[in-house]
Amino acid sequence: MDTDSIIAHSRARFDHQTARRLLKEKYEARMLFAHAGGMWRAGPELQAVLLQCSPTDPVVILDLYDNPVKVTAPDLFAKSHSIWQEQMNAWLVEWENQNKKR
Amino acid sequence: MVGGMGKPKQKTLTRGVLIFAFNNEHTDYLAMAAWSAENIRKHLGLPVAVVTEAGYNGGDRAFDRVITAAPASGGTRYFEDYQATVSWHNAGRTDAYSLTPWDETLVLDADYVVDSDNLNRVWDSKANFMCYKNAFDISTGEFMHGLNRFGQYDMPMWWATVMMFRKSNTAQYIFDCMNMVKNNWQHYRDLYGISKSTYRNDFALSIALGIVSGHTGVVDEIPGTLLSVMPETVLTKDELGYNINFADSAGKQKYISFSNVDFHAMGKRHLEAIIASN
Repeated sequence: MDTDSIIAHSRARFDHQTARRLLKEKYEARMLFAHAGGMWRAGPELQAVLLQCSPTDPVVILDLYDNPVKVTAPDLFAKSHSIWQEQMNAWLVEWENQNKKR
Repeated sequence: MVGGMGKPKQKTLTRGVLIFAFNNEHTDYLAMAAWSAENIRKHLGLPVAVVTEAGYNGGDRAFDRVITAAPASGGTRYFEDYQATVSWHNAGRTDAYSLTPWDETLVLDADYVVDSDNLNRVWDSKANFMCYKNAFDISTGEFMHGLNRFGQYDMPMWWATVMMFRKSNTAQYIFDCMNMVKNNWQHYRDLYGISKSTYRNDFALSIALGIVSGHTGVVDEIPGTLLSVMPETVLTKDELGYNINFADSAGKQKYISFSNVDFHAMGKRHLEAIIASN
């Protein structure tokens, strides 16, 4: 790298918009998990579906790949909620650190 | 039956990563693969097999297995970061199914940087073949629309950069089909209206997945996006993670830093510098 490039790079500013989009991609990928032979994305959409289901009888719902999977709603809800909040907390910490950058 | 009242021993499935690494006049893909193998062991905890030219003795113990094969040239390609046209020994990837020593294999490009345990999630899926569908440019924060389609008819593209497969009929059909496309490349170029003559695994894979899925477009993809760093951005590494410097659309110099993120380093020169300084 020549001197001009080094000066230009040293003056570079942190791109908050782009970094925010990358964080979204990073943490959305971490919301994925396997349960009862299906693949799921932890989050409010899945949890909203599970709240409509019977808390006692097994229910059949579609997983990420549109395969029907028999699950116990409260078990899947608990796992989804736990992963969702764990990753959202990590997302928040990283987002706050990024916001301090210039 | 003699002496066998016990339960038959259940075969344990083997699992590992396969990397193709054939050096050319500009890039030391073997060094890249060795560095990648270290990252893979650290983050995924998986053994790594390399497919490379005969003559490599594996004395540096970088790889768990060394598989030799003849380099299969895909032609030449212009690499923006080298500002040169280089030979591209990429065509052997279609033999991954027959070359792999594992029952469950993750095929990675040598320039795919593993910096998290994210890829271990693919083993939880029941799919026999998975790959990424959408590539995402880290420096723009946008999907790479121009590269996520191919050919005159704007066909959907699947990326061969990261492929997971299990020994199965489905996976074998896909690799056989990729071989058919590779062996009849001119025909498929004409059929799909692909302007560039250079053979690309991504195109062969996309065509093969189209054929094997009965042109339904229903393919099990690795959830998430193939994060990519373009050749024109400057990639560096420090103790906290990776940084990229780039000019935004207004020409202003910007940077972002990230860690615990896997990505495809499309600019080989910057990755080589990171490996050399490691």
